[in-house]
Amino acid sequence: MNIENFGMDTITLAGPLEAKLRAVREGGFTQVMLSARDLVEHPQGEAAAIAAVRQSGLRVTGFQVLRDFEGLPGHLHAYKLDIAKAMLAMCGALGSEVLLVCSSTSTHASGDAEVLSRDLRKLATLAVPLGIRVAYEALSWGKHVSEFPKAWEIVAGADRANLGLALDSFHMLAARTGLDELDLVDPKKVFIVQLADFMWRELPSLEERINAARHFRVFPGEGVHGPEVAGLVRRLDDMGYRGDYSFEVFNDDFVQLPAHVVAARARQSVKWLTDQVSRRSLPIRKDRPRAKQSG
Amino acid sequence: MTIREQNPEPNNPLGIDGIEFIEYATSQPQAFGSVLQSMGFIPIARHRSREVMLYRQGPMNLIVNAHPDALPRMSAPTETPELKAIALRVRDAAFAWRHSLDLGAWEMPTRASAMELNIPGIHGVGGSLIYFVDRYKDFSIYDVDFVPLPGSEARPLALAGLHYFGVVQTIRSDRTDDWREFYEQLFGFTVLPEGKFFGILPKGTLLESPCRKFYLQLIEPPPGSDDIVWDEGLLRIGLGAPDVRAAVRILKERGVVFIDRGAVQPSEKGALTQVYLGGVTFELVKSHLQP
Repeated sequence: MNIENFGMDTITLAGPLEAKLRAVREGGFTQVMLSARDLVEHPQGEAAAIAAVRQSGLRVTGFQVLRDFEGLPGHLHAYKLDIAKAMLAMCGALGSEVLLVCSSTSTHASGDAEVLSRDLRKLATLAVPLGIRVAYEALSWGKHVSEFPKAWEIVAGADRANLGLALDSFHMLAARTGLDELDLVDPKKVFIVQLADFMWRELPSLEERINAARHFRVFPGEGVHGPEVAGLVRRLDDMGYRGDYSFEVFNDDFVQLPAHVVAARARQSVKWLTDQVSRRSLPIRKDRPRAKQSG
Repeated sequence: MTIREQNPEPNNPLGIDGIEFIEYATSQPQAFGSVLQSMGFIPIARHRSREVMLYRQGPMNLIVNAHPDALPRMSAPTETPELKAIALRVRDAAFAWRHSLDLGAWEMPTRASAMELNIPGIHGVGGSLIYFVDRYKDFSIYDVDFVPLPGSEARPLALAGLHYFGVVQTIRSDRTDDWREFYEQLFGFTVLPEGKFFGILPKGTLLESPCRKFYLQLIEPPPGSDDIVWDEGLLRIGLGAPDVRAAVRILKERGVVFIDRGAVQPSEKGALTQVYLGGVTFELVKSHLQP
């Protein structure tokens, strides 16, 4: 396991897109997670943002994030479907093979597992012609799906090849989800793992979770759950997960520091994690054999 | 009205009943037309408002689209003809379209002009489209939008019993399951058991239409082909023939050249033409189908 397995997320960094991409690359990373806002807020428009990403040479780990999609009735579903299509189109134009979808927080959303599976199945079908895989993530404050075992139930129920899970260590730690349930998950259906820690032992209320998630995450090795984060990575590796890890670190301090300073912290986190995990001999990672998009 | 009420056949929810037409786009319609004519297709009608020609051979309709905006939201046609659309015969085109959208198909913007038929469609692989046509029995879509060419035979016979057998689709690595589910979910295609193949190019995954009248073949890039450009798209059509050797003989007399080297040589199972106009081939397949 080495830095090739890890990527940074633009939401952690300050500055224009080009500066973020440069900081990520100069930090030694080869991949980056992008957000829709990176594209639409670019002063020269989406096409210029996409060109900047291609020019950076960084591989796009994934594209985020479609929110509150599944389980909506009637006109709300129709509205959200349009949003989803626009997100998929951007994701495809960017050359990202993964779209992140986080579990709904909407009070209007159904909790019926079959309904949630049906909606995600539809999203997965929409993603097929664009060559995109949909990664469904349990937000720890999701309305009906707040932990990964429930998200896995929905994904397994939908039963589509290009629909899988996004795991996020922050949400797993915040909700105190046990790792044993990972044994139920097919490692090939984990499409992306997002890593972050935080500074408090407990986040009992949803408000505390939301607040910490959006403002006070830190890199693995910087928080108080280091052993748990390392344990998660080790467990995933043991399961046979060979996909990407992305640092999803929302932190108010980091976005007022120079991007290269934060990228250096990310680099340090990779070192910390690989030290923790690869004391045992680990197999060399094999990329999922998907052809690069041409053009 | 529920889907079930309108569709008594659970395995063929759209009532698919074969291929109504295949559409190519090219900026060189004359050059491609002469290739098609050597393959036995006869030009029989011209579109009323667009640079579009209808060719026919026996049960096969083939459309050559040279209109500058050949297909909605797509770039102008290239010199090399591209296989751009498959039109499926269905029981109720409006229902088929609605049903597909409900399951997660992408809507194709309409392109009908005044007094022209609006043929509903969805996006398929690459830049291709899938149309739904329900007027193919007493009344055809061509009666409205096309003007017959003077002196042309409206129903030219097929050479050697040729008919549509299937379409070959290239897909990127590890995408067979994605596309298999796409065709299973939207249309009710089924995968043929591994090892069951037709023709002389046995590879990839074969899907059978729910009407059992044609096939789709999904092909991932061959191993060790990292350096070749392999985009997703419709690659070529397969033409069924009851007697492939007879069909090859007749087509050779008309000037069609078949590849004859290595594993790819004409046999009783199948044959592959040379590449025409920089990218078009036709495959012949020994066929059991009754067009």
